Amino acid sequence: MADPAIRTEQLIKTYGRNRGLTGLDLQVETAEVYGFLGPNGAGKSTTIRLLLDLIRPTSGTVRVLGLDPRADGIALRRRIGYLAGDFIVDGRQTGHELLTYLGNLRGGVPKARITELADRLDLDLGRRIKGLSKGNRQKVGVVQAFMHSPELLILDEPTSGLDPFLQQEFVAMVREAKAAGQTVFMSSHVMSEVQQTADRVGIIRDGRLVTVERVEELRERAVRRIEIVFDAAVPADEFTTVAGLSDVTVNGARLSCRLDGRADPLIKAASRYTVVSFLAEEPDLEDLFFTYYERTETDGVAA
Amino acid sequence: MLLRNPFTKALRDNRRSMLGWAVSIAAVGTMYAAFWPTMQTPEMADALAAYPEGMLEALNFEDVTSPAGYLGSAVYGLLIPLLVAVFGIAAGARTIAGDEEAGSLDLLLAHPVSRARAALQRFAALLVGLVVTGALLWLALVAIRGPAEFTAVGVGALAAMTLHLVLFGTAFAALAYGVGAATGSRATALGVGAAVAVLGYLANAVLPQVDALAWARDISPFHWYLAGDPLVNGVQVGGVLLLAGFAAVCVAAGTWRFTRRDIAV
Repeated sequence: MADPAIRTEQLIKTYGRNRGLTGLDLQVETAEVYGFLGPNGAGKSTTIRLLLDLIRPTSGTVRVLGLDPRADGIALRRRIGYLAGDFIVDGRQTGHELLTYLGNLRGGVPKARITELADRLDLDLGRRIKGLSKGNRQKVGVVQAFMHSPELLILDEPTSGLDPFLQQEFVAMVREAKAAGQTVFMSSHVMSEVQQTADRVGIIRDGRLVTVERVEELRERAVRRIEIVFDAAVPADEFTTVAGLSDVTVNGARLSCRLDGRADPLIKAASRYTVVSFLAEEPDLEDLFFTYYERTETDGVAA
Repeated sequence: MLLRNPFTKALRDNRRSMLGWAVSIAAVGTMYAAFWPTMQTPEMADALAAYPEGMLEALNFEDVTSPAGYLGSAVYGLLIPLLVAVFGIAAGARTIAGDEEAGSLDLLLAHPVSRARAALQRFAALLVGLVVTGALLWLALVAIRGPAEFTAVGVGALAAMTLHLVLFGTAFAALAYGVGAATGSRATALGVGAAVAVLGYLANAVLPQVDALAWARDISPFHWYLAGDPLVNGVQVGGVLLLAGFAAVCVAAGTWRFTRRDIAV
């Protein structure tokens, strides 16, 4: 079997009074999108900086794309694209100058590729970076992370500061990267930033991984609001008995309810009538996410 | 193309500030050198004779009756080396520590460049700035040699003095670079650089006035820079080696530590 894109074992990083990481076992498979979630200060950035060899582990092992970030750093970083949450660069240069320079450090990136990404994000490369808004500055960061189509994208809270339209564009870029076989490791403190793209999410807390879940499974388990409009009034009791439904209210031809788990029984029940419209809200994984927090916290106290 | 690597990028990023320093230092040096004809009046000689000798010595203002003596004191004795040291310390502290504190070093080091290479290339760009400064000052002094009546000082002697000056600046740039690279703290780099400059100056010009402290002179970069009077006697191998060796040790130690430590957030 191929090496995982990222693997850490018992990774510990302590600095000064801060604990950093307290034994992180992380595994990210090749060509998956991995959401790395946790509150601020949980160790997300510490992990990412260890992967890039910006800081060195106190103990434990790190392998990225099968390589040691310390010993094979140059070869490794050639294959990585990195974006920090707050993209800080010398503001006196234009976006074009910076991207050309960073491209040259990687052995050259075609100008057409840079222009294509900038156009896509509606970014003016001719302006000095200090004159750009926070959102536009972050776009420069997005371009430099994606421009060389790296095997592994390491994105630290990537969409902070991007407006909703650009967040959608960013989601599309991540999906394309995944389709092209690239691995994406993306940290965030909110589920909504990663739930549209991530295959799996790992939750980090106090420097260790608390749980790893497939987003698909989370979604299945999630409770969502459903609204169905039929072409005629329907009897409420036909639906109150359907598995997984709660809060069922029927108002003439309009049914609204909460669905917990799979939608199949509801669909079967509804299919006996003529359905005019069907609305299922995107499940709020944030809720589930926090349920986990609370649970692990309780477990932690009990243990 | 100046966007090729960290060396050319550093040249490009700092071109204005480096050129500003070079032009200013050359201008100040030229201005003082141009005063030479006015210094030759008997009134001026009397005025200087009235100063206590220790004070003149403290100002590196010794023999001002010959052109070489005057240039060695007024131009190369204190003001110009001090400006060059300040330039070197400020730029050296910025090379790694300044960028790290600003938070912009992460991006460079997340690219396929080794830390040592990135750091040394940036330091090399700073050396270019110091060499340009020296060259500009040398050209300016060569140009006014005739009009300012100090043709007794040869072009070669000016070049030797300039070499010493550039190495003197390099020593302080290397010190601030090394401390900054090792600690990541710009303030520490500036502080150590300034402290060594002040103590080095005192050790060369003031402390030796007490006989028991004459040894202090030997460990002063100012002494390495001025000893043997390069403006009269040409390049002084001992001083050159001490300045260059000091710089090399600072650069090597700072870079070594930089490749082994955590980069601050």
